[in-house]
Amino acid sequence: MAAAGKGVFFDGATSARRLVLVELAPEHLVVRDEEHRDMLARWRYDRLDQRPAPAGVLRLGEIGAAVPARLDVRDAALIAAIDDASVPVDRSGATERRIRRKVVFWSLVAVVVLVLAAVFGVPALADRLAPLLPLRAERMLGAAVDGQIRRMLDKTDGREALDCGEGSGETAGRAALLKMIGKLEAAAALPVPLDARVIRRSEANAIALPGGRIYIFEGLIGKAENADEVAGVIAHEIGHVAHRDGTRSILQSAGLSFLFGMLLGDFVGGGAVVIGARAVLQSSYSREVEGAADRYGVELMARAGGNPRALGAVLDRLAGAIHPGIEILSDHPDTQARVRVINSLSPAAPPPQPFLEPSEWAALKLICKGR
Amino acid sequence: MNETNPFEAEIAVEPPPLPLNAVRFLGVERAFWRLLLRGSALLLVTLGLYRFWLVTDVRRYLWNNTEIAVDALDYTGTAGELLIGFLIAIALLLPIYAVFYLGALAPGAVARGASVAAFLLLALLGQFAVYRARRYRLSRTVYRGIRFHQTGSAWRYAVCATFWWSMIGLTLGLAYPWAQASLERFKLRNTFYGDLQGQFVGSGTALFFRGIALWLLVVAPLVLGLFVAVGAVDWNVIGEALKRGGREAFRSAEAAGAAQAAAFATLALSWSLIALAVLYPAFQAMVLRWWISGLRFGKLTVTSHLRTSAVYSLYWRFVWISVVTGMLGAFLGFIAYAVVAAIGRASLGGAALELAQSATFVGFYVIAALGYSAIYQATVTLRLWKNGFESLELANVEVLDRVKAVPARATAVGEGIADALSLGGI
Repeated sequence: MAAAGKGVFFDGATSARRLVLVELAPEHLVVRDEEHRDMLARWRYDRLDQRPAPAGVLRLGEIGAAVPARLDVRDAALIAAIDDASVPVDRSGATERRIRRKVVFWSLVAVVVLVLAAVFGVPALADRLAPLLPLRAERMLGAAVDGQIRRMLDKTDGREALDCGEGSGETAGRAALLKMIGKLEAAAALPVPLDARVIRRSEANAIALPGGRIYIFEGLIGKAENADEVAGVIAHEIGHVAHRDGTRSILQSAGLSFLFGMLLGDFVGGGAVVIGARAVLQSSYSREVEGAADRYGVELMARAGGNPRALGAVLDRLAGAIHPGIEILSDHPDTQARVRVINSLSPAAPPPQPFLEPSEWAALKLICKGR
Repeated sequence: MNETNPFEAEIAVEPPPLPLNAVRFLGVERAFWRLLLRGSALLLVTLGLYRFWLVTDVRRYLWNNTEIAVDALDYTGTAGELLIGFLIAIALLLPIYAVFYLGALAPGAVARGASVAAFLLLALLGQFAVYRARRYRLSRTVYRGIRFHQTGSAWRYAVCATFWWSMIGLTLGLAYPWAQASLERFKLRNTFYGDLQGQFVGSGTALFFRGIALWLLVVAPLVLGLFVAVGAVDWNVIGEALKRGGREAFRSAEAAGAAQAAAFATLALSWSLIALAVLYPAFQAMVLRWWISGLRFGKLTVTSHLRTSAVYSLYWRFVWISVVTGMLGAFLGFIAYAVVAAIGRASLGGAALELAQSATFVGFYVIAALGYSAIYQATVTLRLWKNGFESLELANVEVLDRVKAVPARATAVGEGIADALSLGGI
């Protein structure tokens, strides 16, 4: 064992490079000036701080020292001797690896907690907060997202209006739509006024925004076989409005983007995690939510004098014709199961009258065709 | 597995005698790759929480393997400091975000006002964060037992930097040399190694004349192209057509020369993008040489002999490694996707299958992004660091022997807002 050897010392007060003699005393590592043997430092072995250094160099500091004094040793025998004498000095890197394993373990714990918060905490919080939001605030929220949603939905390239029912040949269709909405709205008795519009989109779909706006896609009216089917889908969407599902999902996505985006920061690809997490989690929230809206729709149709089974019928028919893209129906729970539930809740006998007069239904079919 | 501490000796060799005015980087690329790949894997499983440790490891590796006049730098920052700083920044940013989130829901003018204010505040905060992060890195840099430190108001820097970057935008990049010179003067006169004050003597005008050829090749054609394209279109006809609307408008627009103009603009844009990609390494080498050669610490002067060809070759290496890994990754990703789809179709319903597929896609995207970042750091960052340092020539190094320590005023809170706004840098 080398009890002494040479090194280079920086005392932390000046940048002077001093050639020193390093002595290994029983309790301490002692640094002396090479020429006049003054003691420059006396570090306890258990207070040695091994600094990362280039290959072949052992660089030491003192743990908790006020100034970053440094000792560089290049003598291999002396390095080995210091390693033997001092616990914190560990050239194998085992200590470092143990600390790292602890870091990884606690990071994983934090990740699990965050995921639990995202899966259970955020939806629960959104459920509690959504009913507390005043109606005025909900309408503002709806207006704020409306612009963006319209831009996303608008595929007409500005050649036509997105909304149907505004052309000269579409007034009869518009009147039929208003009658349908009027009947449903009277039966629903919502605290907010409904604002339903048919838009030029070829998919068979409909969406509800916070605050009472409902968009019915042209493709839905095209593929529906009677007025009750369209009314059934609208009744389902009114269910979303009544349950404040739009508001809730906005609160949820705000919560999730805060949780994943802000807290975890944008490490490379963090944005994708946020989007992915949001899509994954929200489609799993929507299962119960859709079921609740279905039940609401069935009840509302019965109260408004329509055929509650029509919603099941249109879902059943459209399930085979789902388009990829922004497909709200694809978020919906498996269609077969939904249709079964809808039918079990509906009375056996259909009502004697269709939801709209045949002439009105014919006009509604042309609501986007009358420019 | 033969796992060794990357900072440790692979082969213990006595360093060859070295001229005192030289700088060496002693890192081994393989060890750096290992560090990055392990770090990226941990980033993936910890959803990014590990980044504080990875960043600290990378800095330690770069700093502590860099020998200036025989002695190596020492990075003394810790991941814990970065984490605490980040949490503090989150606490400070949260109310700001909340105000703007609510403001965006308010009607019309208020919402617009709030978003403009948010943009300005975030721009300022970003520059503030850049300056504070620099202060943190300097205060954690030890050389020969003496710390660096940075003084000066971060808010003042933020205002200056925001001003200069708007100038760069308004002049289409022509103000860049003077902006850099001014900001570097500010940074360096507030940078100290012990009691030795830094100084930046690089001239904006000199950089302007060196770089104007690159600007003429990259930006000028784009500006000219757009200008000509805008001039070629008969805007009155288009305005009329838009008022009438419908398919008619498209035909009239064609008649007014919109198609040729669009083609011309596209041509100009593609030229600029290609020129940018081809000339970027030359630009970077030029700015780096100018910047390094402008650094002074007391009487210590620095000259950079960084070769443009060296920067080209490191980018070329980055490109081919990325392309090869990318193709391999795409192949494996495709197989993984096909397997998930096949298993999913056999055993899962429609919605679950879609979920599994989008999860595979997101996973693939994240792995690709992490891999790309690791390749970039192992090729571009490491080589730029190595080449940048090793092409230095120091003069009057003896001033480095007589520097005195000043009482430390280092902060304990890491980089805070810079990390929350993801502006960390190296």
